[in-house]
Amino acid sequence: MTAAITRARSTRARGRSQAYAIPSSIGGYVVTLLIAIPLLWIAFLSLKRSADILADPLSLSGLSLNNYIKVLGSLPLAQMYFNTIVIALVAVVVGAAVSYMLAFALTRMVFGRRRVRSAMTYYVLAGISIPVFILLFPVYRIDIALGIFGTYLALILPYTALTIPFTTLVFMGYLNDFPAELEEAAVIDGAGLWTVCVRVVLPLMRPVIATVFVLNTVFIFNEYAFASVLINDPNLYTISLAVSSLKGEYAIDYGGMMAAATLVLLPQLILYTIFQRQVIGGLTVGAVKG
Amino acid sequence: MTWLSSRWKIAVMVVPALLLFSVFIAYPVVYSLVFSFTRFNGFESPAFNGGANYATLFADKFFWRSLGNTAIIFVVTLVVLIPLAFGLALLMQRRIPAAGALRSLVFAPAIIAPILSGLIWIFILDPHVGLLNRILGQLGLPEPEWIGGNTLTPFSVSWVYVWSQLGFAMTIFYAGLQLLPAEVLEASEIDGANGIKRVWYVVVPMIRETFIIITVLMITGVFKVFEIVLVLTGGGPVHASETLVSYTYFITFSSQRYGLGMAGAVIVTVLGMIVGLAYLIVARRRQVA
Repeated sequence: MTAAITRARSTRARGRSQAYAIPSSIGGYVVTLLIAIPLLWIAFLSLKRSADILADPLSLSGLSLNNYIKVLGSLPLAQMYFNTIVIALVAVVVGAAVSYMLAFALTRMVFGRRRVRSAMTYYVLAGISIPVFILLFPVYRIDIALGIFGTYLALILPYTALTIPFTTLVFMGYLNDFPAELEEAAVIDGAGLWTVCVRVVLPLMRPVIATVFVLNTVFIFNEYAFASVLINDPNLYTISLAVSSLKGEYAIDYGGMMAAATLVLLPQLILYTIFQRQVIGGLTVGAVKG
Repeated sequence: MTWLSSRWKIAVMVVPALLLFSVFIAYPVVYSLVFSFTRFNGFESPAFNGGANYATLFADKFFWRSLGNTAIIFVVTLVVLIPLAFGLALLMQRRIPAAGALRSLVFAPAIIAPILSGLIWIFILDPHVGLLNRILGQLGLPEPEWIGGNTLTPFSVSWVYVWSQLGFAMTIFYAGLQLLPAEVLEASEIDGANGIKRVWYVVVPMIRETFIIITVLMITGVFKVFEIVLVLTGGGPVHASETLVSYTYFITFSSQRYGLGMAGAVIVTVLGMIVGLAYLIVARRRQVA
């Protein structure tokens, strides 16, 4: 297989000097444009007055940034981004930390009874197939019972828990793939558990940690169902809640709605452009590996 | 490692994750399962009522409507999304200027929150203010009720799902194609009927596994379509465009029939699990091969 890939690469490198495939290029650009049209369209509408959107949306006259000025004055976007970033950051970091500890224990430590270890493994990994919708109502009740409903923790704790099964699976796969010699050497040198975990193994996990961070952050930024049930204080609104409120808030002010949507979309697209390699790699890694 | 593995050290390592998982995932699943067999409205204490909730759902025409709509999205995924993504991947691996930039643009909808995708598409699909009917009107063509009507709405929801997943599926196909020898790919570059035949008989069998993975990923996603419906139509008119998940959400949180909602959630979960199980079987066969 490796030989085949090398051969494929070399042939393709030679092919690069050849002329571009013109009909394919046109096709590729047309499809890409079609996919991008909805995004371009809301950016275009955001520059128009609501009355113009209803009367003649296709006209190019009367474009201005007024909608943005109005929306930035009325919608607390900074607060919503702050909320989302705090929740995502804590959940992703804590989720990765506890998953790493669990994955390390399950792959490296010696259990008195092996059956305990495999029971734990199956218990957590079964969580991968649980859809969030069955958890919504019970978690709402649990948040109230714990007295954290109405705080950041109401979302942070369930989000952290939701990242655990997949993150643990990815970490276990990675830890199983590389030999334990380095740690054994460190242990012989007198290193304790903390040193082995944090100083010896953790630095080697950097690429897979980056993947998990990207994946879980995208998930939390886009998550709506939990946020809609567990947050009812507008001061704690996340970005996806902000989006869902736009339809009501700007019910007849389409220009304002589009400007707000663009302001939510733009930072995401910019971040995506910067980290696209990691994002695409992260989201597709599970599917193409193997 | 043995002398670092005392019982309390293992406990310190595993307890935080297991505790969070148990409280926020395992316990809620059991909770939903138990309450799906009770009548519970949040005020009175829940009363055990056997399988009455499930019977109610199976007698509810809106429940069947939501199942039917989910089936429509399922079929559109198989018939439109997957072939389109594959065709696009074949196109994208040809010699196209700035192909990398095109690929990342096509992928972009996959990172947009589903709730935002729904909002964006209102302004394309809405019969009155949407771009699509404006263009059709200018051309003197009929202007169908893409959303809000009884017939087309589920298909429009499916299309927005296709739009949001296309780039993602294409990217996986593309990665799969990159692993094939260049000669195989060149076979697909001959245009016309001959080229299509070669793709079907030569390329498709060689990336069968990629096909299986994408199919399972996309189908699993079908059972999660929720936010798009919520923004685009609110499930209406009169629940005509609900999916299983959006209808369950409605029963639970809008009409506050919690027991009934839990029964709906259990059904969605079981259906999803059947697909997940199929994936595990496929993945295991892949390891053996």
